[in-house]
Amino acid sequence: MAPAQMRLMVFMRYAALIAIAVTLLAPIYWLLMSSFRPAGDIFRFAGQFSIDTLVPTTLTLENYRAIWDGPFPRAVFNSLFVSLVTVALGLLVNSLAGFAFAVFEFPFKRTLFVAVLLSFMMPFESIVIPLYVLMGWLGWVNTYAALIMPDVASGLIVFLFRQFFAAVPKEIYEAARIDGASWWQIYRRMTMPLSGPTIATASLMMFIHQWDAFFWPLVAASTQDLIVVQVAIARNMTLEQSNWGSLFASASSAVLVALVPFLALQRYYIRVVTLNAER
Amino acid sequence: MKTRWWVPFAFLSPMLIGLALFRFAPIFIAVIGSFFGQTIRGETIFKGLANYVDLFEDQSFWASIRTTLVFNLIINPFQVVCAMCLALLARRPTRFVDVFRASFLMPMTTSIALTSVLWGILLDPSMGPVNGFLRWAGVPAQGFFRSGEQAIATLILVCTWKGAGYWMVFLLAGLLAIPKELDEAASIDGASPWQRFRYVTLPMMRRPLAFVLVADTAINFLLFAPVYVITHGGPNGATHLLMFEAYQSAFAFLNHGRSLAISTIILAIVLVIAAFELRLFRHKEGEP
Amino acid sequence: MTKLTRRQVVTGSLALGAGATLGANIARAQELTLKVVWMGWPDGQVDPLMNEFQRRNPRIKLAVEKIPFTQIFQTLEVRLNARTGDPDIYICDSPLTASYASRGHLMELDQIIDKSRFTSGGLAAGTYNGKLFSAPFGSSMQVLYYNKAMFKAAGVAEPAADPAKRWTWEQLVEAARKLSKPAENLWGFAFEQSERPYQLLPLGQSLGGKALSEDGFKASGFIDGPAFVEAYGFMQKMYTEWKVSPPGQFDPATTPELFGSGRTAMMVAGTFNNDTFKSRYPNLEFGVAPMPYFAKGKPVTPTGAWHIGVNPRTTHKEASATFIREMMSEDIHSIWFKLRPYPPVLKSIFQREAAAFNTELWKVALAELDTTAVPRPATPGFREYEDVLRVALRDIQTGANVQQALSQAAQRIDRELAKYRG
Repeated sequence: MAPAQMRLMVFMRYAALIAIAVTLLAPIYWLLMSSFRPAGDIFRFAGQFSIDTLVPTTLTLENYRAIWDGPFPRAVFNSLFVSLVTVALGLLVNSLAGFAFAVFEFPFKRTLFVAVLLSFMMPFESIVIPLYVLMGWLGWVNTYAALIMPDVASGLIVFLFRQFFAAVPKEIYEAARIDGASWWQIYRRMTMPLSGPTIATASLMMFIHQWDAFFWPLVAASTQDLIVVQVAIARNMTLEQSNWGSLFASASSAVLVALVPFLALQRYYIRVVTLNAER
Repeated sequence: MKTRWWVPFAFLSPMLIGLALFRFAPIFIAVIGSFFGQTIRGETIFKGLANYVDLFEDQSFWASIRTTLVFNLIINPFQVVCAMCLALLARRPTRFVDVFRASFLMPMTTSIALTSVLWGILLDPSMGPVNGFLRWAGVPAQGFFRSGEQAIATLILVCTWKGAGYWMVFLLAGLLAIPKELDEAASIDGASPWQRFRYVTLPMMRRPLAFVLVADTAINFLLFAPVYVITHGGPNGATHLLMFEAYQSAFAFLNHGRSLAISTIILAIVLVIAAFELRLFRHKEGEP
Repeated sequence: MTKLTRRQVVTGSLALGAGATLGANIARAQELTLKVVWMGWPDGQVDPLMNEFQRRNPRIKLAVEKIPFTQIFQTLEVRLNARTGDPDIYICDSPLTASYASRGHLMELDQIIDKSRFTSGGLAAGTYNGKLFSAPFGSSMQVLYYNKAMFKAAGVAEPAADPAKRWTWEQLVEAARKLSKPAENLWGFAFEQSERPYQLLPLGQSLGGKALSEDGFKASGFIDGPAFVEAYGFMQKMYTEWKVSPPGQFDPATTPELFGSGRTAMMVAGTFNNDTFKSRYPNLEFGVAPMPYFAKGKPVTPTGAWHIGVNPRTTHKEASATFIREMMSEDIHSIWFKLRPYPPVLKSIFQREAAAFNTELWKVALAELDTTAVPRPATPGFREYEDVLRVALRDIQTGANVQQALSQAAQRIDRELAKYRG
């Protein structure tokens, strides 16, 4: 390719990256920036565009101070706890199942797989009442168990692991079996260590799913000590009086906290997995 | 592979117990519930197919189906294509690739409820900064969610804003699993970038693409938070998605039988479309 | 080896889990805790009430859940539909009293409350089939706020504060047209809740229309009758023809910001906004006037508010009754009034907080409560009624044919209300 053409390609790539990044970031920037404004300023400059819309004239931390005193810190703790425990349990439970679907042959495999897919295709609102009654029977209403346990086994995550594990050539497993390895050893020592990006992706999915949880926590576990982050944010919107400052501050905080696992797991997307090179 | 009978069972059982208790049982109850109704005092009465018949005779139900199918027919491929473009852009180690990747991921960190509230404000016809900017730029203020013609397109764009980065993550993982040597070999053989993409990259992306398409389809068919928060099905039914109708049937019209019937229909539709999508991406060896 | 151990671990955990939950259930049954589902008002507006109750009743514990407004009805539906004793007490939007009561979700309160202490409006809002089912906790009233600076700048006369000289809608539109500059995003008038029946039913009622049949089961012929068609046709012109109101402004949370930041000269909104404007927009010069009416009709204002209800399936009937009695005490109503100044429903509060009622705002609001306030129609199917009408009102605002939209809505409402007959 001619050097001029290459330079154009590079320029186009950067232009596209920047344009997309700006589009994706602009609303979040507005959210963050509004959280540092006094409540009266948030909408004062919204309707008419001016430099004041983009850059606040007065900066204040009063919104953040306000949410620190309320239920928000507890909500962050609760959501982090619930999300991390769900990820820990879910990684184990769902990857084991994904492995089974990818590697083994067993009766009713096709039916079971369809059932697994089915499990995330039913609208949640239709199952919320029976699920709530079940929580009642188990005595889990208003406990962490109600927030964590129903979301540990996830058809979507099983599907994810299965897709990845199915890409591994069967010969590798045959060789390991001939060498006398048990399936648990194969799973634990061979497959999982090589699944960095998939584990990272599954963790992020489960984390976000719990971090975003809103309706179910309200129904099953909404006492003060169990409040979750999305509910704490929504509490700022009441009918006659919305607390915009607190709303934006808590929403921004939630976004920033949620970004941490993503950034931390970024490195799994740099490592190039070369199973084929192992041959 | 064949092995002792209890090995697959052992691997599967924790997941099966969880899904059986918290998904299969409630789903089964819900589907059975679609054949029943409730009197106002809470007694259950058997209705047979009456809920379904009522739905099929309801014009607004069919309008919902049409709106939902159109919405999904556009948004699912659109989001997957966007995600693929983002993944391709983000995989090459350009300068600041970390920063760009992080910026693509940002919208994922907002929940769909918060996204709806945020974009509802941003696109508000009089109070929203977007129209403020347009007015300043000399462009007349747009209706966005309040305009019959623009509402569904706006919904698609807002959902894609949130979802593109999310699905990019999966496709990126898949792209990074493709050995560099294959691509390099094709390049040496004189293949153009497009040919390399079509004949080397895409086939190796079958599984991640299948996953993303099926998962995205399920999520988009079940989507209703932006409709509930911003448009309430309007303007004039332009965004009246099936899932919203199911939600309203349960929580506004207190007709749980009807709501469960709609949910069952959604489940059936998604299952059929997912089966079709999996077949589309079936691996050459005959294994989906 | 490894597989068996895992299976043992799984069975062991299940047994442990079952034992733990059994133990927890036994422990829970011995202490008396009332489960209360409350509106997600800020902590500072809920805790003082609950703390006062605890102070007076240390042996009854309260587990209070504060549910955000956007989800309160749905959360209650799930809980109540499970038909257990949970929750014991819940906050009840007054027009939903009939809905909850007819479905067996509210306990009769006639024996628990001394009805003579309350205003007739408050009692009416909580009554169904002649019995009191929800305890009145406050009322509401709408007034006309106007931006004095914008009026002065445009040289338009301010609306009169005297209810006898209140503006008509026609007068309001005339003034609004002088104050609107749509191209610059400046408007003459806005409704706080531009799509909600709460705010908009008074328009049709002002022209003599009835929102629903007496028995509460039929909307056709009422909501789509000539009075409402004319009223909403007028309203539609505000958006489409006269362009005095911002179209598509459906979010009641942002409309007060529209007024506060000076983008609209007039707004019909709840009394509560008074405090919001004073705290958030201290430089705003605004006045208060009574809500307008149609020249050939009579003045009508909306009312109705949050009540407190008891789940008839509660396992703590005595404690729940105590809670209601305490919540209806003058002290608690007084605390509540200071925290969130809703118009009172307890007659004695008018004397006790007389000083607070000396403002322009309260003089207008209290006069209205006595003379022009009309609660929303009493029907078990209020959720259905409201939701269908909301959509119709939205569509009317964006230009739909008024008669058609209302007739279609009426037919849908009739269909949904049919299940409550007999």
